[in-house]
Amino acid sequence: MKRICQLAEYGFFRCVLFLCDTLPYSVTCLVSRGTANLWWLVDKKRRIVARDNIIRSGIETDPKRALAIAKKACYNMALVIVESLRSTDFLSDDAIDQHLKIEIPDDVKAVLEDPEQSLIIASGHYGNWEVAGHWVSRYKPVAGISRAMNNPYIEGLVKKRKSRYRFRPIPKHDGNTGRFLEVLDNHEILALLFDQHAGEYGMMIDFFGHPAATFKTAAMLHLVTRTPLCFASCHRVGPMKFEINFSPVIQQARSGNKNEDIKAILSSLNRDLENTIRQDPTQYLWGHRRWRD
Amino acid sequence: MTDTAKQETILGQLRGILEESSSIEPDWDSFGPQSTIESLGLDSLTILDLLYDIEEVIGIHLEAKEVLNVTTVGEIIDMLVAKGA
Repeated sequence: MKRICQLAEYGFFRCVLFLCDTLPYSVTCLVSRGTANLWWLVDKKRRIVARDNIIRSGIETDPKRALAIAKKACYNMALVIVESLRSTDFLSDDAIDQHLKIEIPDDVKAVLEDPEQSLIIASGHYGNWEVAGHWVSRYKPVAGISRAMNNPYIEGLVKKRKSRYRFRPIPKHDGNTGRFLEVLDNHEILALLFDQHAGEYGMMIDFFGHPAATFKTAAMLHLVTRTPLCFASCHRVGPMKFEINFSPVIQQARSGNKNEDIKAILSSLNRDLENTIRQDPTQYLWGHRRWRD
Repeated sequence: MTDTAKQETILGQLRGILEESSSIEPDWDSFGPQSTIESLGLDSLTILDLLYDIEEVIGIHLEAKEVLNVTTVGEIIDMLVAKGA
């Protein structure tokens, strides 16, 4: 019975994918807006979490306006899926300049262009992080943690689509440091989204002025392996148009005080993410419970 | 200093590091080269913390990938001695 349900889901997903591949982009956006609106109505819990997070961040104090931002952010997530499924179309060599504007400091570019160097890119769930991953894989293969789908047929299909660019998923349940070190040893790019609640492995770092358990992995890998680390974001500026921004390489000299070093790096990353979110709060994933005190 | 004396010194340094940073309270009376990494509450993430501290206290840089494969404290001591600690 389970298998039949999974196959039915897979069939539905294939149909959605077919429509997404064949319909004009504007029509696909309309469909995704409708789906997002439906999701918004159904998922009351996440709606409230998103509104409260926006108020807590200080970006908006009025609950009604916070809710309006949260609703747009929900639509943004639907767009992320549509854009990611079509990213191969608009990231081809001849079309790329029409869709992407890249701000990349010389030190980061030098690392990307050096075949003997690996890079850790830390980012958050803002804009379309998948597009950024796709673009940067032009330089080196990219590996990042991704949550496996519950349906193995859909998981296989998603993997096949993603392999069209050089992205290698590291399953979330297998976030072993050895897997990260392998990526760095191969002189590849390790992309880490650090803005989820980190639980016991996290360090409490201010995010919009409130302590949030923040993953230490990017900072520790940088401090121990000396791999260059930077922050990156992908801001949507129009339909299928994006600005990808990289911070300069974060230079954190070891002070001898491990916790202070980690704190300095994570504070810098959180600040970069906050500044990015302030550009357009409707492009951030507010529905996640980042603060759990 | 003899190899045994070196190993004793490093063992003491490692104990000091682990006492500071370990999230669990291992049985220090039985702590020795035979102690397993697992019994000390270290996993693949916290071992990076250990590597940072080893470099600060003992002054030797160990490759993280190599250390991830060790199972006992004694193996870490051997690595450090081999690197000139």
